[in-house]
Amino acid sequence: MQSLTQNLSFLSPLFSQVSESPEPKKIQLKSSFFKNPIFFTSHKSVHSPDKPISTEVFPKNPIFFTSLKCYHNPDKPISRNSSVSCITAHETPLQPLTMPEKVHCLACEFKSLPEPIDRVKRLLHYATLLPPFDESGRVEENRVKGCTTMVWLEVEMDSNRLMRYKVDSDSEITKGFCSCLIWLFDGAMPEEVLSVKTDDLAEMNVGMPSKGHSRVNTWHNILISIQKKTKNFVEVKDKDRSLTEFPPLVGSTDGFSVYGNYKEAQYMQESRQAGNEVEGPT
Amino acid sequence: MMASTTMESAFLKIPSFGFVNPNIATSKLVSRSSVSLRFGFHFRSCAISSASAAEPASASSPSSVVNDSEKLGPGSLGHITRPDFPILHQAVNGSKLVYLDNAATSQKPTAVLEAIQNYYESYNSNVHRGIHYLSARATDEYELARQKVANFINASESREIVFTRNATEAINLVAYSWGLTNLRPEDEIVLTIAEHHSNIVPWQLVAQKTGANLKFLELTEDEVPDVGKLKEMLSKKTKLVAVHHVSNMLASVLPVDEIASWAHDVGAKVLVDACQSVPHMVVDVKKLGLDFLVASSHKMCGPTGIGLLYGKSDLLNAMPPFLGGGEMIADVFLDHSTYAEPPSRFEAGTPAIAEAIGLGATIDYLSGIGMERIHDYEVELANYLYNSLRSVPNIRIYGPDPSRVFKRAALCSFNVEDVHPTDVATFLDQRHGVAVRSGHHCAQPLHRYLGINASARASLHFYNTKEDVDDFIRALTDTISFFTSFK
Repeated sequence: MQSLTQNLSFLSPLFSQVSESPEPKKIQLKSSFFKNPIFFTSHKSVHSPDKPISTEVFPKNPIFFTSLKCYHNPDKPISRNSSVSCITAHETPLQPLTMPEKVHCLACEFKSLPEPIDRVKRLLHYATLLPPFDESGRVEENRVKGCTTMVWLEVEMDSNRLMRYKVDSDSEITKGFCSCLIWLFDGAMPEEVLSVKTDDLAEMNVGMPSKGHSRVNTWHNILISIQKKTKNFVEVKDKDRSLTEFPPLVGSTDGFSVYGNYKEAQYMQESRQAGNEVEGPT
Repeated sequence: MMASTTMESAFLKIPSFGFVNPNIATSKLVSRSSVSLRFGFHFRSCAISSASAAEPASASSPSSVVNDSEKLGPGSLGHITRPDFPILHQAVNGSKLVYLDNAATSQKPTAVLEAIQNYYESYNSNVHRGIHYLSARATDEYELARQKVANFINASESREIVFTRNATEAINLVAYSWGLTNLRPEDEIVLTIAEHHSNIVPWQLVAQKTGANLKFLELTEDEVPDVGKLKEMLSKKTKLVAVHHVSNMLASVLPVDEIASWAHDVGAKVLVDACQSVPHMVVDVKKLGLDFLVASSHKMCGPTGIGLLYGKSDLLNAMPPFLGGGEMIADVFLDHSTYAEPPSRFEAGTPAIAEAIGLGATIDYLSGIGMERIHDYEVELANYLYNSLRSVPNIRIYGPDPSRVFKRAALCSFNVEDVHPTDVATFLDQRHGVAVRSGHHCAQPLHRYLGINASARASLHFYNTKEDVDDFIRALTDTISFFTSFK
């Protein structure tokens, strides 16, 4: 697993403060953060429609709530009742957060923002932190289908069988979504990526209280694309149908039983017959 | 099943008169099946051409002598009718709701809501079959709604009105019933690139099955369908011309009467997608000479789940069923069935009874205001919206500039330079409570033709006001300022 710094280095200059020890034992954090968190609060009372929002809304070196949550003390379980429950990184020893914990932390962060517009602003800020996306990657086969905005997604698996993602969009808010998803999934195991459900991310949906799978539900569309491509990688690269993490989908002439849903079975069958990577069913 | 003679007579006898708040009188009437009134409704021909689309045919219309500021002032139609729409009086994300997404769906007046509730409370029953009182009453109201629709668009008789789920289903009905029967290989269907997907995809599917070809009319430099070239596209091969009346993105209006005339000259039929016209102006199918017309209730202040197909009697009589099941049959045997006459032939299964009755109440409400009055008001509001939006820097509005030649409907699709329309729409909603639409508006070919992926769209209806437009422009200016400073 990558160190915290490598994992999050794109997010904030703050991470220069973080130790690169392979077994990080202690992360010194500014305790004042918890007392005076820098949140993007609503500025309705101060913003005049006649003048642009001051850039002071976005501090030059913002402390990213999520970026501090990657580690927790295993002796202190994360409380789900506190808005700052995810931050306990001031004691040793520290362990990386599991995927459910990361999802929960992300949800906590957005839930803690008092106004819907604050979530928009937070996403816009995260959008600025997304790594650059090569123009050559903006091709049709990388496009996430079903989104009202254009989203391009590149998926790879590294030599450690960890998933690597690059994503971009022509919408700043969508880029913010992408930035959060990259934080969740980049460097994760395929099984971890596939374990996340759209409903788990519902709290991050800016202005979308509905959990429906509509084309404006960017979380859903990008998540599904990430998971389909991840599954494809696992199927093609591993070619091991006995993986317990992935239920067997298609029986072959050598005696396997057929079970799983029909569409997935079709896709897997085509993938093996073609011998190529095939885009999963939409 | 036809409406009773007594009911039809009552329906036709009542004189029309002006009406300020039709909601009050209408709500008292919908529960009485023996009486139905039409208020201020004129079956006046609407010679739709690009030059006259937005001009009232009657020079004596009282609204023509009122200046613009008065038309949009405190006593405007929008101000008068707003109280009838309870949904408009709420806050969204801390701001007053400004609903400008009417091209997607309209809001419903209390009269329509009460009509639907009254149906379920008083006489809910399946139609056309039962002999008991509730069933008879439900049947009467259902068929009365059909008659109201027929009168609303000046169809010859109510049997020319088929209730469907929506306009999309209505087009599919024509495509699969009329199309599969009448289209042969090399036949041509003429469309425009500005069509809604519902008026493209069914024809693609049927063309694949029959070997017919689709031909698409492109736009002029003014960003309206090139009607001049349309005539050149027509030939003996043309079997159907399927076009929109009002574009849901360009706001342009097609001269469908002229198009129908040209189509008939070459022996082709005409289908008009009137989803964006029936709610906003007088549409007279006989005057326009149309063969088929489709519309959706939910875009004209009616409930979702019901739409209409108008078809000339001789065409419907010759068409085979679309969906099979109960209601559309005459006799059923194990090896074959015989079918009912239109419109029942095309209404398989239990229909959307409450929704049809709601649509009938909708027509009562709109007729009480008067479609001419609605149209006149929306023309003023459309101009105000366009001019206000055009004054905002870095805005690109799609469709024609309004002029004596080109009239625009009350909607504007637009883009802001360097800001994605989805970001614009999101900020408008989250920060200002302004509801607009972003995306391709079910018109991907049109967007592709214009070289864009998406656009934002503000669309008005008669219950919107000048203040709604002002709020929208203020919010949009703030939105642009935010994203500019953010970058």
